[in-house]
Amino acid sequence: MPARFPPRAPDPAKAGIGLRTPHFEALAARAPALSFLEVHSENYFAEGGPALAWLERFRADYAVSLHGVGLSLGSADPLDPRHLDRLAALAGRVEPALVSEHLCWSSIGGTHLGELLPLPYTEEALAHVCRRVTEVQERLRRTILVENVAAYVRFSSSTIPEGEFVAEVARRTGCGVLLDVNNAWVNAANHGTDPRAILDALDPACVGEIHLAGYEATPDGLVDTHGARVFPEVWALYEEALARLGQVPTLVEWDNDIPELDVLLEEAARADAILASAGARPRVAA
Amino acid sequence: MTGTGALARMQAAFASAVTDGDEAAVTAHLAGDPALARRRLAIYREAIGANRRGALRSAFPVVARLVGEAFFDEAARRLAAVAPPACADLNRYGDGFPAFLSTYPHAEAMRWLADVARLEWAWHEALSAADATGIDFAALAAVPAEEQPALRFSLHPSVRLVRSAWPVLAIWEANQPGRDGTPDRDEGADDVLAWREDGRVRMALLAPPDAAFVEAIGRGTPLEVAAGSEGWDFAPMLVRLAAHGLLAGFAGPQSAG
Repeated sequence: MPARFPPRAPDPAKAGIGLRTPHFEALAARAPALSFLEVHSENYFAEGGPALAWLERFRADYAVSLHGVGLSLGSADPLDPRHLDRLAALAGRVEPALVSEHLCWSSIGGTHLGELLPLPYTEEALAHVCRRVTEVQERLRRTILVENVAAYVRFSSSTIPEGEFVAEVARRTGCGVLLDVNNAWVNAANHGTDPRAILDALDPACVGEIHLAGYEATPDGLVDTHGARVFPEVWALYEEALARLGQVPTLVEWDNDIPELDVLLEEAARADAILASAGARPRVAA
Repeated sequence: MTGTGALARMQAAFASAVTDGDEAAVTAHLAGDPALARRRLAIYREAIGANRRGALRSAFPVVARLVGEAFFDEAARRLAAVAPPACADLNRYGDGFPAFLSTYPHAEAMRWLADVARLEWAWHEALSAADATGIDFAALAAVPAEEQPALRFSLHPSVRLVRSAWPVLAIWEANQPGRDGTPDRDEGADDVLAWREDGRVRMALLAPPDAAFVEAIGRGTPLEVAAGSEGWDFAPMLVRLAAHGLLAGFAGPQSAG
C-alpha cells in the first residue's frame, strides 16, 4: 500500500504528549513543536467519523505513536482476532512511528475488565507473553514496544524480578521496551523495592520510549492516575534513566482531570531540558 | 476458550474478586500483608466499576440526567453483572443498555426511558460509523426510466432510524445542556432519523410514511416496493436523503448483488 503520510519519527532529543480530545482545537491552532503525539489505539477503533479525521489531520504534521490499552497480552484467553484486525487497520491508516502495548492482562473468560492488571512473574507467564508478543508482531509485520505497568498487588507465585521479566520478553521476542518511569517509582513505593532495579535489568538498546506521568498518593499506596504533574522523585529517576540510556523519545501522559494544553507543554519542556543534558544514544533501538 | 494453567486460574480468581467481590479464591495468590492486599484489590474494583459507569454515562447522557446519579450507577452495576463488556473498546459497551432498561423493574414508571436510550445509542453509533462518499448522480441520471422502479439504494453507514411510541426526540432535546428538561410537547410517537454530516450527528423527525420508506430502502428493497402503492410521493424524501449525502450508492436490475 502506498504511504499516505510523510514518514515521521520521534525526535529522541524532544518530548511528546498524549493527544486527548479536549486539546484537539488548541493543538491544531497552535501547532507546537513536539517530538510526537501518542493516542490510545482503542479510542480510534471506530470505522469513521470525526475522531479519526482529527488523528489523520495531526498525523500530517506529527509522528504518531499508537499506544494500546486493551490487547490483554498476558491473558490466558486467546488474543481477540477482531482487536488485532482493528489495530492492524488503524496502523495501516495512520502509519505510526511506534506501536506499543502493556505487559499486563485485562480480560479473562471473554469479559473485559478495562484495567491494566499485573501478571505473576513466572516462567509460565513469561513463555505465554512471549508467544503473544510474537503473534502480534507477526500480525502487524513490525516490532512493538511493551510497557511495564503499575501494580498494586503482587503474586506469591512470582519467581522473576519485574525488570528481568520485562528484559527477557524483549530478548526473546525482539520487541522493544516502553519504560514507564512513573510506574517504576509507583511499584517500588508500593512494594518496598528498588526503583532502579528495572534500569539495571534492561538492555539500554531495547528501550524505545519513556513515559512520564503523575500518580496519586492514597492511604493504601500510590495509584497511577495520570491525573497530576510528574512528581519530583520521578523527574530524578528519569534523569538517572537517561544517564544510562542516553536520549530516548519521551512522552508526558495525562488522562484524568485533563488540564489546559499549556500544562502538558510545560511538562514536555521540562523533559526537553533533561533530554538536552543527556547524551545521544550509543545505539538506537529497533 | 480460556487456558487451564496456573495463570488462567489466578486470572479467573482475580476477576471474581474485582467484579463480584468474591475474594475467597484470589487470596491464596496474593503476596504480602493480606489486609493491605485486599485494600489494594479494592483500587482495581473501584476503577473497573468507574470505567464501566463512565462508558455508559458518556454514551447515554440524557438517560443519566433523566434518572439521576444513584439510579444510573445502580443500573450500570446491574447491567455489568449480567452483560459485562465483551470487547476491549469501551466505546462499544452499552448496546445492550436500552434492552436492559426496557425490562428494568425500577424504570417501569418511565416507559419511554428505553426508547430514549435507543435514540442515544443511535446517536452514539452514527458518530463513529464508517465514512462514505456520496452517490454518483451522473450515473444515477443515466439509468433508463424503465429501470428506475427496480433501483435499490444503500444508505450512508451512519444512518439510524429509531421508531418510538413516545415523543423521544422532544425528551432528548429538552435534556440537552442549557435546557431545563421540559419537553416542548408531551405527545407524539416519534420516528427519528439520525445521521452524521460534516462530522456532527444530526437528528430529524420523519413523518410515518417517510420513516417506512427509509426503513424499506435501508433493507435494500427496490424503489417501487419501498414507495408503497397508496399514491404517496416518495420523491421529496429521496431528495432529502440525497441532499444530506445519505444515499451512498445504488444498484440497478442488471447489477444483482
